[in-house]
Amino acid sequence: MPRLIGVDIPANKRLEIALTYVYGVGRVTAQKICDDVKLDRGMRARELNEDQIAMLATYIQKTYMVEGQLRRQVAANINRLREISCYRGLRHRRGLPVRGQRTRTNARTRKGPRKTVAGKKSVKGMK
Amino acid sequence: MSRSLKKGPYVDHNVAEKVEAMLKAGRKDPITTWARSCTIIPDFVGLTFMVHNGRHHHKVTITEDMVGHKLGEFAPTRVFKGHTNKKEDSKAGTPGA
Repeated sequence: MPRLIGVDIPANKRLEIALTYVYGVGRVTAQKICDDVKLDRGMRARELNEDQIAMLATYIQKTYMVEGQLRRQVAANINRLREISCYRGLRHRRGLPVRGQRTRTNARTRKGPRKTVAGKKSVKGMK
Repeated sequence: MSRSLKKGPYVDHNVAEKVEAMLKAGRKDPITTWARSCTIIPDFVGLTFMVHNGRHHHKVTITEDMVGHKLGEFAPTRVFKGHTNKKEDSKAGTPGA
């Protein structure tokens, strides 16, 4: 398996898909990268030769913020919100949805698995 | 939708006046305000605001990181002290976890 940008090992997939295994590269970005470096979107990642891999890596790192750097940027943004103790920061601290979604039901992605409270009425019962 | 750039940031008129006066006088007294929707502009840095949360005025000292946010974001309007524990609830509303 070819290695691209540090730890990333894209699989036996079409290049436009293989590139999305890089953190920070999605479908649209991947397609754009293929076109920009003039590689066939449909070629398999294993068909890349050394030069092409090197070229891809330099191009991606020059043009986009990916992987560790991007992760750090995201974490820093959240940390900033936490530290200034604004509303969004408080929501991050509590692990609740940040953008005004309801929390009476749902919001399981942020809140994690349900913690059942004995004696609590069901949602139907609350209406 | 975000605000048109043409208009610039929304700064409450009264707040703007008070900040200006404060800067001119070189003092940093707390500014009491109800204008929660007022954007924090770089001039505010270092000043203290008493921002209304519907009940009290919440003390907010502006730092550089806060620029671009609204005053109201720093004065929470809701108080959540945790759910009550059913078993110990006989002590009436003791805050849980």
